[in-house]
Amino acid sequence: MPGGADFWITQFLNGLQFSMLLFLLSIGLTVIFGLLHFVNLAHGALYMLGAYVGVSAAAHLGGYWSALVLGPLAVMAIGIVLYLTLIKRMRRAGPMNQVLVTFGLIFVIVDIVRILWGDVALGLAEPASLSGPIQIFGVSYPAYRVFVTAVGLVVMIALSVVLNRTQIGAMIRAGVENDAMAACLGINVERLFFLVFCVGCALAGLAGVIAVPLFSATPGMGTDILIPTLIVVVIGGLGSLNGAILGSLIVGFIQTFGAVVTPGLASVLVYVLLAAVLITKPAGLLPARG
Amino acid sequence: MLELSGVTAGYGETQVLHGVDLVVREGQFHAILGRNGAGKTTTLKTIMGLVPAKGGEIRFAGDSIAGREPYRIATLGIAYVPETRDVFGALTVEENLHLAARIGVGRAGGWSIEKVLAIFPNLAERMDNGGNQLSGGEQQMLSIGRALLMNPSLMILDEPTEGLAPIIVRQIFDKLMELKQAGLTLLLVEQNFHFALNLADEVSVFGRGQCIWTGTPDALRMDEDLHKRWIGV
Repeated sequence: MPGGADFWITQFLNGLQFSMLLFLLSIGLTVIFGLLHFVNLAHGALYMLGAYVGVSAAAHLGGYWSALVLGPLAVMAIGIVLYLTLIKRMRRAGPMNQVLVTFGLIFVIVDIVRILWGDVALGLAEPASLSGPIQIFGVSYPAYRVFVTAVGLVVMIALSVVLNRTQIGAMIRAGVENDAMAACLGINVERLFFLVFCVGCALAGLAGVIAVPLFSATPGMGTDILIPTLIVVVIGGLGSLNGAILGSLIVGFIQTFGAVVTPGLASVLVYVLLAAVLITKPAGLLPARG
Repeated sequence: MLELSGVTAGYGETQVLHGVDLVVREGQFHAILGRNGAGKTTTLKTIMGLVPAKGGEIRFAGDSIAGREPYRIATLGIAYVPETRDVFGALTVEENLHLAARIGVGRAGGWSIEKVLAIFPNLAERMDNGGNQLSGGEQQMLSIGRALLMNPSLMILDEPTEGLAPIIVRQIFDKLMELKQAGLTLLLVEQNFHFALNLADEVSVFGRGQCIWTGTPDALRMDEDLHKRWIGV
């Protein structure tokens, strides 16, 4: 087994960075789940769309930074179209129908991506200012990965402030806990859901763009990330910001450290944890509904 | 102010309301009595739009409200205090009150958070507590306080005394009496016969998903047959 403090610090930073990526994806999914009990399996496909739109934006417009702006906006626009054409009608259709329709959407989106961008992995260079390594905790670590972690932390803090300190945040928390009573206080829960859905899509797009310099854009990337994201949501507890944070850290670190400590068991570990949480705390570790 | 005529509603295949007729006049304190399963709670939920009306007509302040979404009905000026109180446990007491005050601002009625805390001083000490940390009585006060902050023109309450200690029931009685004297229109569903009759201007007796009888509390007190058949006291 490899040793040395440098190695473990690097793995710690990798775990943190992967956790932040999972957080950006799971927060949108969990609040959509929690607020209107809507199961959106196409969330991973939106992440992939963000990545591909980002690659094209960078190639044709102005490099990485234009990708970082246009990727989330494009995915949000696609999300709005999906919402108005499909998701709004599926709101009361029950989880099985929602799973089937959004599962079907994955195939549609993947094939559209194959037609438009081809079936090859596409890269996106990180901006020159973030291309080198920097010194952190005494180790030399890629600046871009620090940037990814920082983006996740900034989003986490911003969402935490909005959810816990503003009226719209209180409305969202009230809607997640009891949508009927929230409506009886005059809150338009449907419009609130739409807003949350848009933000969730934009964050999936953002995660897609910032992931490309690390993993490349591939048609399979959405489905690859969907499973750990769903596990984060289930472990953390539906609808809960703190649950998404905790779940992301747990899954991110287990996958990262599992891969270096027990490579043979790494892929199983997360599922073992998932089973353990479902047996002991079926509502997740930090559920929104006490 | 509120008029239901021939309202039918239910849950899935099960029909619960079989043509409810009910009139609540402006400034009136109207109580609904009846056994479990008579359709009292379902009537309130149908007024709020939480249970869709399948047939009949519901008019509030001149508007037809059947089929409207609950948030629109609330915005029109009906505040609902449900049987389960439905305080938001994940929100602090202060946040619960602020949410309700959001649509109450600018409406006639004059309720503010300060005024609500003045009539329910217990809540003032609990402002930073989570809704899930309150006792049953405090939850009921918060639920009523929240309804008042919406500055409603009609307040509907579902069994506000259920499961509460007699001293708390007395407090709630006094507050409802104050609201009645202030001229607020109230619709109350109650199992507690004396509590309801001592507050109400008019009483409706429900049975088998219909309004069986409507009259004054005194007329109901005299009618023993009505008691035996539909209320059971």
